[in-house]
Amino acid sequence: MNAPISSFDPFALVETSAAQVRVASPCGRLSLRARGDLAPLNAALGLTLPEKIGQRVSAGNLEAICLGPDEWKLETETGAVAGIEEACAKVYAELPHALVDISAREATFVIEGVRAAELLTLGCPRDIATIEVGTGRRTVFDGATVLIWRDGESSFRMDVWNSFAPHLFALLDTGCRELAAEAA
Amino acid sequence: MSEYRVSGRGRIDTAQPVSFTFDGATYRGFKGDTVASALLANGVHLMGRSFKYHRPRGAVAAGSEEPNALIGTRRGAGRFEPNTRATVQEIWNGLETSSQNKYPSLKFDVGAVNDAAYMLFSAGFYYKTFMWPKSFWDKVYEPFIRAAAGLGVSPTEEDPDTYASRNLHCDVLIVGAGPSGLAAARAAAAKGVSVVLVDENAEAGGTLLSEPQARIDGKPAWDWLASELAALREMGVRIMTRTTAIGYYHQNMIGLCEKLTDHLAELPADTPRERLWRVRARQVVLAQGALEKPLVFHGNDRPGVMLAGSAQTYLNRYGVLVGKRPVVLTCHDSAWYAAFDLHRAGAKVQAIVDTRGSVREELVSEAKSLGIPVKLSHTASATSGRLRVSSIRVNPVSGNTVGAGEKIACDAVLMSGGWTPSLHLFSHTKGKLAWDDDRTTFLPDVTPEDCVIAGASRGLWGIEAALTDGAEKGRAVADALGVAGNAVAYAVEDDRTGTGVSHKELPTDRSPGKAKAFVDYQNDVTAKDLRLAVREGMRSIEHVKRYTTNGMATDQGKMSNINGLNIASDALGKKQPQVGLTTFRPPYTPTSFGAFAGYHRGAHFELTRKTQIDAWAEENGAVFEPVGQWRRAWYFPKPGEDMDAAVRRECKATRSSVGIFDASTLGKIEVVGPDAVEFMNRMYTNPWTKLAPGRCRYGLLLGDDGYIRDDGVIGRMTEDRFHVTTTTGGAARVLNMMEDYLQTEWPDLNVWLTSTTEQWSTIALNGPNAAKLLQPFVEGVTLTEEAFPHMSCVECTVAGMPARLFRVSFTGEIGFEVNVPAPMGRKLWETLWEAGQQYDITVYGTETMHVLRAEKGYIIVGQDTDGTVTPYDCGMGWAVGKKKPDFVGMRGLARPDLVAEGRKQFVGLLTEDGSKLEEGAQIVFDPKQQIPMTMVGHVTSSYESEEVGQPIALALVQGGQNRMGDTVYIPMPDRTIAAKITSTIFVDPENARLKI
Repeated sequence: MNAPISSFDPFALVETSAAQVRVASPCGRLSLRARGDLAPLNAALGLTLPEKIGQRVSAGNLEAICLGPDEWKLETETGAVAGIEEACAKVYAELPHALVDISAREATFVIEGVRAAELLTLGCPRDIATIEVGTGRRTVFDGATVLIWRDGESSFRMDVWNSFAPHLFALLDTGCRELAAEAA
Repeated sequence: MSEYRVSGRGRIDTAQPVSFTFDGATYRGFKGDTVASALLANGVHLMGRSFKYHRPRGAVAAGSEEPNALIGTRRGAGRFEPNTRATVQEIWNGLETSSQNKYPSLKFDVGAVNDAAYMLFSAGFYYKTFMWPKSFWDKVYEPFIRAAAGLGVSPTEEDPDTYASRNLHCDVLIVGAGPSGLAAARAAAAKGVSVVLVDENAEAGGTLLSEPQARIDGKPAWDWLASELAALREMGVRIMTRTTAIGYYHQNMIGLCEKLTDHLAELPADTPRERLWRVRARQVVLAQGALEKPLVFHGNDRPGVMLAGSAQTYLNRYGVLVGKRPVVLTCHDSAWYAAFDLHRAGAKVQAIVDTRGSVREELVSEAKSLGIPVKLSHTASATSGRLRVSSIRVNPVSGNTVGAGEKIACDAVLMSGGWTPSLHLFSHTKGKLAWDDDRTTFLPDVTPEDCVIAGASRGLWGIEAALTDGAEKGRAVADALGVAGNAVAYAVEDDRTGTGVSHKELPTDRSPGKAKAFVDYQNDVTAKDLRLAVREGMRSIEHVKRYTTNGMATDQGKMSNINGLNIASDALGKKQPQVGLTTFRPPYTPTSFGAFAGYHRGAHFELTRKTQIDAWAEENGAVFEPVGQWRRAWYFPKPGEDMDAAVRRECKATRSSVGIFDASTLGKIEVVGPDAVEFMNRMYTNPWTKLAPGRCRYGLLLGDDGYIRDDGVIGRMTEDRFHVTTTTGGAARVLNMMEDYLQTEWPDLNVWLTSTTEQWSTIALNGPNAAKLLQPFVEGVTLTEEAFPHMSCVECTVAGMPARLFRVSFTGEIGFEVNVPAPMGRKLWETLWEAGQQYDITVYGTETMHVLRAEKGYIIVGQDTDGTVTPYDCGMGWAVGKKKPDFVGMRGLARPDLVAEGRKQFVGLLTEDGSKLEEGAQIVFDPKQQIPMTMVGHVTSSYESEEVGQPIALALVQGGQNRMGDTVYIPMPDRTIAAKITSTIFVDPENARLKI
């Protein structure tokens, strides 16, 4: 697996009876850092930023996940980033914060299938069962920092920096086959 | 049926015969057999040679503690493994096995000459013998020791198997699926409690597999076991066999090694050979059972001399009689039952010899009713037989007097020195042990982990006791989890309870100094060696262990530790706890490197980060070099070019027209917030307050100690937003250091850091035609000296892509760095490459980048600096803000050593003879001084330079900045090179070329 992530086929990269992995379409991603009364930012974003680590809140096509006491990641459509930056810039004086476009920094694997949760145990030391559906966690997979979103009991997304993606995919690929062979 | 197979006994499947080979000969066994049980069924006891004396050896045990029967296994091409325990390896059709440590053959081995010369090979032999003459070490001693060292032969072919790993979280992990483990699982498996039960054997059951006579709750043991395992599975208990708990690590993390394919004739697709599990359990129950101890007497290692409990296992689990005329030698009741079982299965037990004066009446009367002669208060003083025991010599003992010996002919000696609770994993937890004088053994005391011990591993004996204790411990861990465990009680009939005593080496009527009474079979350590070690001054068991190698073999002292301790404590005249017990360390049994490596081999061995432009470089013939986790294009040779020629061409092209370079790996950090400028002032040496938005500056980062840690060009994008760049290798380190200061020292600052290294692809264009090439693609700024001077930055559009454009130069030429969103990198690169053809654009790699920057005297952190270099040493005092109240490293820079005269300073070097210096070469002022010479510095960078017309070098030289024009000397193995100290700037000192 030497190809850069931008060259991955957007369809299923690997599919077995145990799980399948594909690359999600590009989207807008922003790192938001702030502290204090978040009301101005909530107003600017049109949602209430969650304050518990791992919690997610969405409104329209914008979703926010809390990653730390003063840290959120925002996901939206590619074209919506500029609008969010503009809206937040307007409340900067009132509530100083850092908003950084990281849309191009990462790729996302969509991991689904009956044994998707087990597939994650190949590289993630965290107890996957403690990531409830509808939440997410920043953790590690095969030694690299990743953000895991749990969208369903057997449906996950994994955000990872571009240059780590081929290495991580190689393990996901091996794992899909290994788990399928185990069930057979 | 083989000669020693007992029909109707054992758990092997006689409907499935299996053929395998041992040392080339074909043997038959059945599915369910191990190599050892199948060989024993064929009457083969001789399975290997010992390590030091090359004595013939057979299986002494039936499980993973086996020290003797180590074999090589071949499972097809490339799949050879040495030191496999024959007692564990299951057989399958086509398995090839071989004995070890023999030449030319197992039955006739020339190395056995060591055995005759055993008086030479006593404890500390190596330390004493190989000391002198000193000159013998390299040529004679070391080759000899190396040739003699090691068991088995290392595999030479690449392992074609794959290995895996997984993480597992559970509420309760139970190690050992014998009676106590099974009962603990049943009791703990309340609703909602996840229980994992692991066992190293091919099937669960532990002792129950060897004691089918017992009846549990009215059912025969094996029926009960089958229904209990089914019930546990039904309750959701995860039962894992062929899975060894190899180590107990901090905070209830336990390593398990699961063997998946070694027992299979056909390898299933996509299936790893072994899987390492990292289990995090809230509670752990250790139910590892106990291991039987050998008795220590002259000749206790002859093939056919084995543990009584193991003989019982071979009979009841595998249907194999280990001998037809065995003698039982014991100091524990358990061996009496082994005698009865074997006798009833058709063996004629020649005698039960017990060291004790009185034994439970029921045992003695049962022996009598079976017609087995009983000898109480007896010792054993010798065995005979070359490749298999043929007799044992026993003597009556009365007080301290050993009477005359009597020889009993036999074909096996079944010994029992009592049982040692298995404390290995408990010991890994740094748990404390308590000495139990009555049972002459250590028992588990307290542990810092959430862990309990159940059954025989805490000294309990008998199936009912183990079941009851297991159930109690299972409920205890459920309690600890805050749930009510299941109440269970067990009634066991035909349970074989019993007691015994413990011994040092057995008394003998012969000279104990000549006895080959083995304590550690694998390392050939005898009782005499241990006593010698004590006589020669070893006082702690740790010293005795290292002096004699007792307990240091692959079995890690499972059989030898307690016997060794008893003998050492006797020799020292101290109680065992005062002599101490050596610490057990992971892994519990030998574990393959593959299991530890897991998925990280071949292409997946290590992460290699690649840029978006990497594929283009590969397509265009780049040679790569690793930089941190990244691989970077090093140079781009054309056909027929070597590295020097390619670099010369790349340098020349860049200085004369334009070169293109992938700088995407540079670390990038976005510093944003109202206090961004204050943060930058505190972090970097430079002043930032007056840097206007749209301008950039070279920043220098120090550690607390005042030494250079990192550098990079930093752009102020807006009032509150900085685009910081770091070195490629330093990116993560710098971000961590910044976060550390921000979170611990300056939490009051309103500023935040975001890594943007991978947000951007960064393309550098350098050379007199760089602006001309780039201008047509840029919207939003004009690339003129006036509108966009050197050290400017701007957000603009390049080739239709959103970009951050920097005018910077690491070459001394007109230079730009274009940052575009990462996935667009290759498109921009190709666009510029195509348009650049009119200027003969040349792609260059990191080597050319290094040469071009060295010609300008720009440092590379980590090459020209080594963590002991200050900005002043580097002649970069200009980068240190003089009016700033503080910055990281400011106090460090004021330390007396850092302001002292005569520090090593950064200078240029030009050799007098025009030769190229070697990087790392040492420098002296006076080449005629005596050796060892006073070294005053070293060469940090050295390159051929087309531009300068001769090789150039950068160096750190004592007081170098005040020695301009002086000659220094670089002594090399073949000659001494003279070089003149110069400025570090070799090309365009006026920076005229930076101007558009």
